[in-house]
Amino acid sequence: MTKPIDLLQGTLDMLILKAVSLGPLHGYGVLLRIQQISRDRLEIQQGSLYPALYRLEHQGWIVSEWGESENKRRAKYYRLTAAGKRRFQAETEKWNRMADVIAGILSTTPEEV
Amino acid sequence: MTQWSRLHSWQQTILRRSRMESEMDAELRFHVEARADDLVRGGVTRQEALRRARLEFRGIESAKEECREARGVGFIETLLQDIRFASRILRKSPGFTTLAVLTLAVGIGASAAVFSLVNAILLRPLPYPNSGRIVLPELVAPAGVNLGSEYMPWGQLQFRALTRDAHPFQAVSAFQNDSFNLTGAGEPASLDGFRASQEFFPSLGIVPALGRAFTAEEDQPGHEYEVILSDRLWRERFAADRNVLGRSVELNGSAYTVEGVMPAGFAFPRAEDMPSSFNFPAEPQLWVPLAIPAEPKPGPSELAVIGRLKPGVTVQQAQAAMDLITRHAEEQDHRWTGWFTMRVVPLKRQVVGDTRRPLQLMLGAVCIVLLIACSNVANLLLTRSLARRREFTVRTALGAGRARLIRQLLTESLLIAVAAGAMGILIANAGIYFVKTLGPSSIPRLREVTLDLPVLAFALGISLATGILFGLVPAIAAARENLVDSLKEGSQKSGGSRMSPRLRNALLVSQVALALVLVVSAGLLTRTFFQLLGADGGFNAERVLTFQLPLPSVKYAEQNRIVTLFGNVLERLRAIPGVQFAGIGETVPLGGEGESTVIRMPDHPAASQKELPFANFTVISPGYFPAIGTPLLRGRDFQETDTSDSMPVAIVNATMEKKFWAREGALGKQVGPGSTRYPLVTIVGVVPDVKHTSLREETAPEMYVLYNQNPWPSMLDMRVALRTKADPAGMTESVREAVHAIDPDLPLARVATLTTLVNDSMSQPRFSVFLLGAFGVLALLLASIGMYGVISYSVLQRTQEIGIRMALGAQRRSVFGMVLGQGARLAGLGIAIGLIAALGGTRLMASFLFGVRPTDPLTFAGVSLLLLGIALLACYLPARRAMRVDPMVALKYE
Repeated sequence: MTKPIDLLQGTLDMLILKAVSLGPLHGYGVLLRIQQISRDRLEIQQGSLYPALYRLEHQGWIVSEWGESENKRRAKYYRLTAAGKRRFQAETEKWNRMADVIAGILSTTPEEV
Repeated sequence: MTQWSRLHSWQQTILRRSRMESEMDAELRFHVEARADDLVRGGVTRQEALRRARLEFRGIESAKEECREARGVGFIETLLQDIRFASRILRKSPGFTTLAVLTLAVGIGASAAVFSLVNAILLRPLPYPNSGRIVLPELVAPAGVNLGSEYMPWGQLQFRALTRDAHPFQAVSAFQNDSFNLTGAGEPASLDGFRASQEFFPSLGIVPALGRAFTAEEDQPGHEYEVILSDRLWRERFAADRNVLGRSVELNGSAYTVEGVMPAGFAFPRAEDMPSSFNFPAEPQLWVPLAIPAEPKPGPSELAVIGRLKPGVTVQQAQAAMDLITRHAEEQDHRWTGWFTMRVVPLKRQVVGDTRRPLQLMLGAVCIVLLIACSNVANLLLTRSLARRREFTVRTALGAGRARLIRQLLTESLLIAVAAGAMGILIANAGIYFVKTLGPSSIPRLREVTLDLPVLAFALGISLATGILFGLVPAIAAARENLVDSLKEGSQKSGGSRMSPRLRNALLVSQVALALVLVVSAGLLTRTFFQLLGADGGFNAERVLTFQLPLPSVKYAEQNRIVTLFGNVLERLRAIPGVQFAGIGETVPLGGEGESTVIRMPDHPAASQKELPFANFTVISPGYFPAIGTPLLRGRDFQETDTSDSMPVAIVNATMEKKFWAREGALGKQVGPGSTRYPLVTIVGVVPDVKHTSLREETAPEMYVLYNQNPWPSMLDMRVALRTKADPAGMTESVREAVHAIDPDLPLARVATLTTLVNDSMSQPRFSVFLLGAFGVLALLLASIGMYGVISYSVLQRTQEIGIRMALGAQRRSVFGMVLGQGARLAGLGIAIGLIAALGGTRLMASFLFGVRPTDPLTFAGVSLLLLGIALLACYLPARRAMRVDPMVALKYE
């Protein structure tokens, strides 16, 4: 397995929105879900996860409510709002376009210039 | 982000802060425990799992802090936290807090009090509707003609010429003061009042509270027997009776009908509202129509004019219109050339007039006090922040950002500033009360001074501004500290970072310099004051009683009756036991301006209209000079043998002799009023200059003529002076009886001893000296506190160094000298800078000074020595403490 790579600036919010879009999750669950989807190739700072969650909630893209966890503990669950869904779609499109452009630039050969 | 969610979040923060806080705790705890559960499943012990879970999280507290910020309401929350923390810190060092708050409160209080004066006098509009449109068209004397004042009174002809073409005015009115003897209603009283033309009240925009104002018909000769009362007169004399309207009262022997009562507080014009040369009464009590005839005859000029500009007309436009009128008048009649120049002055500028500069002086002085207070508090904070370096270092190490640290320190200083502001308002209130009670009556609008909203806003504003100003410097200095250095250094061994002592010294030096400027100014004013006390007014004020004897014009229409009356009154007065001399004159010393007129001298023919010589023209009786204590320099005094049948004689003052007959002397020369209708008189004596308005005035030429030889100006309003053998104040009753024995209807007005008049004329300089002196003492006190603080802190910091010096054999005396020397160097630098600033600054106050130059070396040297002495005194205690340092204790220290 390769060494996990650090997250690109600004992408954590997108990943959280994606993770939560698959179903309500508590904070630790978000962490696990991202690691699981990325097959442990991404390193997420636990300390920066919660500020991001609070920020997204403050912006109205996710909402939280208290519930019970799988091992019978009280936990705070986050789920996507309608606004969050639209935001996520917009962000995804933007990301894909950017990735295309960047990939195109990086794969350019001298002859093509 | 939606508006709603933001609002929701804010509301959550403010209302349920603690709940959110505990939810955040619970959430993070859940995270750590869930992670630990997973690790336990991997085969680690529970305790080890929890430890690792926490480690992986890397800083739960800073994550919490970020979460709080992420919620977007960190500001309010941190502010509350900062305030709580700051007040706890401040409570923990009550000595520091008290000193800082008191120092600043004094600065804020003093400046708020001065600002309330500035606001009420200079900034607030006058209490008339649209008062910006009220102007005084003033007549200006031709250039080069010294009337003793720039303004000339208006004549009836000139006023008629003005109203004929007065296009810029919505209303324009002439008025003149007069005394009214109210008789037939108890004790006869002399009331100050005005004769005003019909548009007087419309010009001001005020209507009577009761009844109505004059009509145009009532402003005609023969119909003017209508009177409008002031609210005060109505209450005092007419028991606030609403049925007073239509009642008949007797004024100067004629029956007048009461037509209206003005609203409370209305008393235009007060003496302070108009140029002092008009010599108007302090507060008018009634108004009657002026009734200028349609075709006025040439006569004495005694009118003042007020006008209200039409909406939209500027002062400049009005001035242009006035200039046009001037040109027309000069074209029609060449005798008016140069004598009909008008200047339109906004009423407010006239009212504020001479007060603007003293107020600016006060404002400057109080700014210096405030600056010293601020720099003092900044120094206190700086010193304290040095002592707290450990705390800051630890907090930085725990993750506090520099901005956060600065904010915390700023919160502390703002808290001090706000507390000081609250206390300052109390001080300002006391100051305002003090100024209103003791301030000289010549300050205009003083009764309008209050602690109102703008003043409160001002106090709040300077509190916050000073809080930020004096808080920011130490805060930035503290945040600049190098973390590692200060941890390594320990707390107090070295003298703080290299920048801080320099900053503190700079603050201290500027304090000393500012204090020097202020105290030098106060010193110059004090010397001026004593120079004035010693100034020669040309009279002797001891044991002199003066009063005004206004005569009813109806009863005393003929000159002969007046002369006979005065002769009888003087005879009666001189018969009173205890009266040494008695005299009558148009003015008494410091009793106000008298008449001034063009004069003619056969040996000084005037070259042109514009170079006409002027002199004060004062009618007196024999005995006047002995009564006011004016000695004769040359020649002889007026005598009882000078009568209407003998040669007409005059006495001139020294200025007049010097101006016109410097070489040959004035005795025997001929002089007379400008108009050839009056005969020339022969000068028989010369007296010293007698001051009329203040001891510092530049005396104009003055000539005295005899009341029984000269029929020119009206003698309806004369003053009497009596020199007594005992205390003059106790003689008022016998004097009143003596006058009433001749005419029981004659009122005595403005009864005052000459000493009182002298004191009154000194009230403005005395007040300035007192205020500036108080500010000077404050500045000295604050600067010495600052000096004490800086030196004693530096002694504390150098304890170890001093211990080593002493262990190595330094004498206690040399340690003492070292500390004193440090203080003296700083004070010396401050004094040097202050002297340079004062040399430049005091020139601005030249107009306040009398008999002392703005660069008076005595004051400069004295104040420098005083400041040095105080600085050394402030260093004395810390120096003694340094001398007593025990080397053993000092070395063990830390």
